[in-house]
Amino acid sequence: MPGTDGEWPSDTELLRRHVAGDSDAFGELFRRHRDRLWAVALRTVCDPEEAADALQDAMISAFRRAADFRGDSAVTTWLHRIVVNASLDRLRRRAVRPVTSAGDEQALEALLAHDPDPARAADTRLDIDAALRILPPPQRAALVVVDMLGYSVDDAAAILDTSPGTVKSRCARGRARLLPYVAHLRGNRSASERVSPAQGGDA
Amino acid sequence: MNELEGNMTHPDSEVLAEFRAGLITGRHGARISAHLAACEHCAGLCDQLAEISALLAVVPAPAMPEAVARRLEGALAAEAAQRDDAERIVGDSSRDGTPSPRPRRRWDFRLVALRVLAPAAGVAVLAAGGYGLSRIGESSTVSEASGSAASSAATAAALPQARAAVPSSAAASRLGAIQAHNGLQIVTSQTNYLRATLRQQLAGEMKRYAEGAAGPLRPATAPVKGCVLRVTEDTRPVTVKLVETARFQGQPAIVIVAASGRHDVAWVTTPTCSGSSDHVLATTTLPGTYAS
Repeated sequence: MPGTDGEWPSDTELLRRHVAGDSDAFGELFRRHRDRLWAVALRTVCDPEEAADALQDAMISAFRRAADFRGDSAVTTWLHRIVVNASLDRLRRRAVRPVTSAGDEQALEALLAHDPDPARAADTRLDIDAALRILPPPQRAALVVVDMLGYSVDDAAAILDTSPGTVKSRCARGRARLLPYVAHLRGNRSASERVSPAQGGDA
Repeated sequence: MNELEGNMTHPDSEVLAEFRAGLITGRHGARISAHLAACEHCAGLCDQLAEISALLAVVPAPAMPEAVARRLEGALAAEAAQRDDAERIVGDSSRDGTPSPRPRRRWDFRLVALRVLAPAAGVAVLAAGGYGLSRIGESSTVSEASGSAASSAATAAALPQARAAVPSSAAASRLGAIQAHNGLQIVTSQTNYLRATLRQQLAGEMKRYAEGAAGPLRPATAPVKGCVLRVTEDTRPVTVKLVETARFQGQPAIVIVAASGRHDVAWVTTPTCSGSSDHVLATTTLPGTYAS
């Protein structure tokens, strides 16, 4: 088989092998990036069960559409794009589903523990995940892609299927909404005093 | 945008964030720059906005839970097995050349059948995985469910099998995680809390709850959900740890415990508590249960 020389084949090579019929190559690609992909799905949909569903939709779709990958972006970018879109799809479907009172359910959801690990070491991460939950999904997805994954605004626009200007404005509005949480996110007890002295509001 | 009449008015945080993102230019942008140079408060807000991006960039990615990993591995293995089958069939039929037409017709039929079955197989795998996940943190049933889905990918038999694997009773130690997966659950507790010993009794109850021994669980009703939101409103951000029906001074009551920072806060309300009204009978703080 051509291209089997390296012990550590590139993502592109794995995807090529998968398209050529190698039945292990896609699994390998998935294992290589699974935590990152999981983080993207989890943070976009904010619910572990929905995130697993979204990620499964995405991986099956990527498995089947691998031949469409043209190599004009990194394989990870292509995967992130599929995962973000599957996640937003899930959220749209969930929004349509009748719930007793959707707003309350979501607010309540945000108050439930989402990490099976009770250790306080994960505090910052839990707090950030909780704070992200208050954002509308498009703003959340933009922040996940730009601030958390570190994509450029242009790449993020391609991943999110929108314009760079929209990405910028979604990120800006999302960050502004997260501002009241910044003192808490910092985990700094004295920080609250610094938050809004002029307006005299509660931080 | 409208609040920026001159340098005296503070632009709101959204305007500052848009300015930082380069979305506000021209005269409006120049006025914001001038304001930022003179206003310590708004400059501070800009720093905090920058800090949000920095925080988001460094927050560690949560590791994929093992149960989810197994489920996805299973789904991908099933997908790969299905593709291999389909390819083998196509390969065999084309390699046949021109033998008797009989086997070829058989292959063709199988190929069609596989195509028709394929979407159904996908559904079966999804459903099996879904059940596995509701027991996150407990491994045995999960691997069973996703394993069977993978091996018998194209058979709908995976579905009832997975159904049988629905957890019957909540297992002990990971109740917090189960809470999150099943939505808000209420404990039916026999405890009669007394005002004088509320803290000690709650500490004991939290321990029993962590062991799964506080009482049977059932999904919270809409009024109770509303009650939890209402009661915790002024204390957020919080993480709800325990909601139960119990007694307080001999009378029926709802008890809510939520983690807030390093402490747990507890509220005791009347059973009529809902999203529109609450009557808090007692409240107290406890050292965080998980703090040790």
